[in-house]
Amino acid sequence: MTAIAQTESGVPSSTDARPILDCRGLEKSYGDRRAVAGVGFEIAAGETYGLLGPNGAGKTTTISMVCGLLSRDAGEVVVNGKPLTPSSTDAKTAIGYVPQDLAIYPDLTAKENLTFFGRLYGMARVDIRQRSKEILEITGLADRADERTDEFSGGMKRRLNIGIALLHRPSLLVLDEPTVGVDPQSRNAILGNVEALSGAGMAVLYTTHYMEEAERLCDRVGIIDEGEIKAEGTRRELVAILGEHDHVSLDATGDLTGAARALASLETIAEATHRESGIDLILANASRHLPQILETVAQADAEVTSVNVVEPDLEAVFLKLTGKALRD
Amino acid sequence: MNRALSIATVNATRLARDRVGLFFLFVLPIVLILLLGVSFGGGFEPTLGVVSTGSGPLASELVDALAYEDVIEIDRLDGAKQLIDAVERGGVDAGIVVPAGYDRQLRSGERTEIEFIEPAGTTTAAIRTTVEAIVVDQAARVRAARFASERGAGDFGEAIQTAGLVQDQSPGIEVVVMEEGESTFEGLGQFDLGAASQLVLFMFVNSLAATVALIQTRRLGVSRRMLSTPTSARTIVAGEALGRFVVAMGQGVFIIFAASLLFGVDWGDPLAASALVMAFALVSTGAAMFFGAVLSNEQQAGALTPLSLGLAALGGCMVPLEVFSPTMQTIAHITPHAWAVEGFTEIIRTNAGLAEIALQLVVLLGFAVILLAIASGRLRKSITS
Repeated sequence: MTAIAQTESGVPSSTDARPILDCRGLEKSYGDRRAVAGVGFEIAAGETYGLLGPNGAGKTTTISMVCGLLSRDAGEVVVNGKPLTPSSTDAKTAIGYVPQDLAIYPDLTAKENLTFFGRLYGMARVDIRQRSKEILEITGLADRADERTDEFSGGMKRRLNIGIALLHRPSLLVLDEPTVGVDPQSRNAILGNVEALSGAGMAVLYTTHYMEEAERLCDRVGIIDEGEIKAEGTRRELVAILGEHDHVSLDATGDLTGAARALASLETIAEATHRESGIDLILANASRHLPQILETVAQADAEVTSVNVVEPDLEAVFLKLTGKALRD
Repeated sequence: MNRALSIATVNATRLARDRVGLFFLFVLPIVLILLLGVSFGGGFEPTLGVVSTGSGPLASELVDALAYEDVIEIDRLDGAKQLIDAVERGGVDAGIVVPAGYDRQLRSGERTEIEFIEPAGTTTAAIRTTVEAIVVDQAARVRAARFASERGAGDFGEAIQTAGLVQDQSPGIEVVVMEEGESTFEGLGQFDLGAASQLVLFMFVNSLAATVALIQTRRLGVSRRMLSTPTSARTIVAGEALGRFVVAMGQGVFIIFAASLLFGVDWGDPLAASALVMAFALVSTGAAMFFGAVLSNEQQAGALTPLSLGLAALGGCMVPLEVFSPTMQTIAHITPHAWAVEGFTEIIRTNAGLAEIALQLVVLLGFAVILLAIASGRLRKSITS
């Protein structure tokens, strides 16, 4: 799959001033619950934009509106200069959507799946045939092209799932948590592909709740929680939000909920949250306050097994901004 | 339109891959039409097992008389035990045992008995009546012969021959059966009714069975992926409906042609028959789309087969509507099946045209419009929310 970028000739150059995706003020509510509240961002050609947030933060709802899968209560989406609505189909020709689910027909072959979606994208027969062949080569499925996809391994299905989105040479690729439930090898391959596609000039919108993926892939990241973008920028810009604060990661056992609560009440602690096997803290001058931290944890019937002062990262930024861990 | 056709084509392709589905779609209906036609479609002659251990002419005459009757078929068996086995296993419908001393007892004026054996819990009145008539006929001649021989008019052998001649020449008493009103099944071929009811039953059953494919398409996220392409929700719904309609129509047309060619079923006015198939295919499509839109997994769809068989039974696909009580006939018409069966019955029995089945067509189209409207709304909602 490493050759994907070399075949993408239809994408605008990165010097094109107009953003490939421009969405503003996106809002969506389900009854009284606001799933997305005023989300907006731009993505230029050759840029990878990450939406980083925990499950339920509003990532999928946002990209569903961006791809025209979901009607929005407010806001606008413009793709390649064309406004996108669920009823208008023009702008969709520029989008390649990779859903989190393996959205392929299990009882059709890889080639038949590609042909079917090629027709839905309005491609000419000759183009579908030629492009399907290319995609099958790129995804390493050429020798399995005529096999039903229910005979494929999970990784092969995942590759085809991505390949379908590239069939019509989109200028914007939207990937919805494409590495969830994927083995490390396939995950690495997917991340490599996304880097290659972006390098070839494609605009990429990538949602994830894995901080490592966002840090590796994304030129800019929007940190999203409870339907709002809490902060946006390059990794460096986001980490700067932390200022002089450190991210301390404690591995601990015992009453972690009580310990995190006790730590949060300390004046020196900016944020404290617990996870399954420990507690994450944001605070200034971490080394000076460590004794007080350890004593507080011990008083809360918990025991610290190791202490790590982590280099400032997006996880810490998220913690600082939302008071929650990304894994929550 | 091209996109809707692509979606419909994919549905047909997926169906063609499903060998079990193809069996239910094309093979089973024809097999059932054959079985129903052979079992209940007329031309049925009950079989009477006969055990006659007597070797005299009276016993032979009795058996020959039974064999001469064209309303029953005779199967000669060796012994009473074999006969009872045959009756119990359904090899024969009933049986008689003519005793070994039959001739001797009759000649000597003794009382004799012919044992009539029938399966428990079933009525074989027609066979028994035929047997009794022949036995009574012979008994009359035996009595006349013995009366004559006792009065010195020759021996019994001569007397019974004379009695036979007299009986043949004498004017008899005949019961004449008068049929009043219209016969319910008059003019129908052996396979006609079965073919029509199986057509309706299987078009609906298979349409609902194909609901699984639509649920899977939704559950896997393929429908939403279609929406991410330049394809509107309306086109997706139209394509899914078109695929199911084409399959239902294809099955209906296949059954009509196959039943006509293989079993000589006369479907009546082609225009009226085509209109009925089309209207019922639309109803089946609407029902399939509705359940495909509202059910959330393939396991739930498993309940649709009993439901569709229940509706078929209520709608007169298993037992003719005429057999139902008036109340049940009214209730049956809550199902589209009853209207379709009624329409087919009209065109097959009376060669009715479009005008005569207009009511049935309008009601079926009403069912179709309501089901398709609800299904389209639900499916669009499930894709776009």
